[in-house]
Amino acid sequence: MLEDELSVSTRERDGVAIIDLVGDVTTFAEEKINSAYAQVTGQGAKHVLLNFRQNDYINSAGIAILIGIVTEVNRNSQKLAVSGLSQHFQKIFRMVGLAQYADIYQDEDEAIKGFTTAA
Amino acid sequence: MELSFPSELGYEKIAREAVAAFAHRLGCDRERVEDLKTALSEACINAIEHGNRDTPGLRVDVSCIGAGDRLEVEVHDRGLKRYESSGTVASIDLKLRGLAPRRGMGLMMIAQLADEAGFTESADGGNHFRLVVYFRKL
Repeated sequence: MLEDELSVSTRERDGVAIIDLVGDVTTFAEEKINSAYAQVTGQGAKHVLLNFRQNDYINSAGIAILIGIVTEVNRNSQKLAVSGLSQHFQKIFRMVGLAQYADIYQDEDEAIKGFTTAA
Repeated sequence: MELSFPSELGYEKIAREAVAAFAHRLGCDRERVEDLKTALSEACINAIEHGNRDTPGLRVDVSCIGAGDRLEVEVHDRGLKRYESSGTVASIDLKLRGLAPRRGMGLMMIAQLADEAGFTESADGGNHFRLVVYFRKL
């Protein structure tokens, strides 16, 4: 099986929990992404940023995982944003409706500023 | 151009890169190449997961024909499961409320990214999915 190589790591910056996603977001990513989200939530995060790398591959299975994250974000009264998506995947996110539930920013700095402005 | 690969998730990435290279050589603009890559990935995933039921011994065949300002791609599987329309695609709101499966957006994505897309009749019992992308030559 050609498994994807996805690296998921977490960090905090200016009160925002950042989940860095480097690699392909597909069905194989579910455990890593959910685990990272659970970790930052367990640490009390109220602002969560999913930080993608520009050239990553995201398919419909990966989007389903992100919909699951949005479900949990809503349940936990958190605020979610995404950054680092290519123009193409920003279009995909709007197409499937994710943009209604997560603000889309070009990069991490813009996202951090967005969270701060909205607070 | 023709490709054939096992029904294993991950191989759709090889297909998308190969078809993207073909489209690029035809002079397809970057945005349409990205649309094609995503649409083809979803068609291949459907063939792997549904048509061939994730059976590695079965193949998925992809054929591409480029002509002028269009690229026509066909994805064939062995039809262990024949495609059946499930009606309209559930909205994200229904999915978030747990009233619809989170997956099942592949065909919707293809329909919005490709200029023509749909299943065609096949004599060999497999599912044949055809998608066409028009592009501006660079």
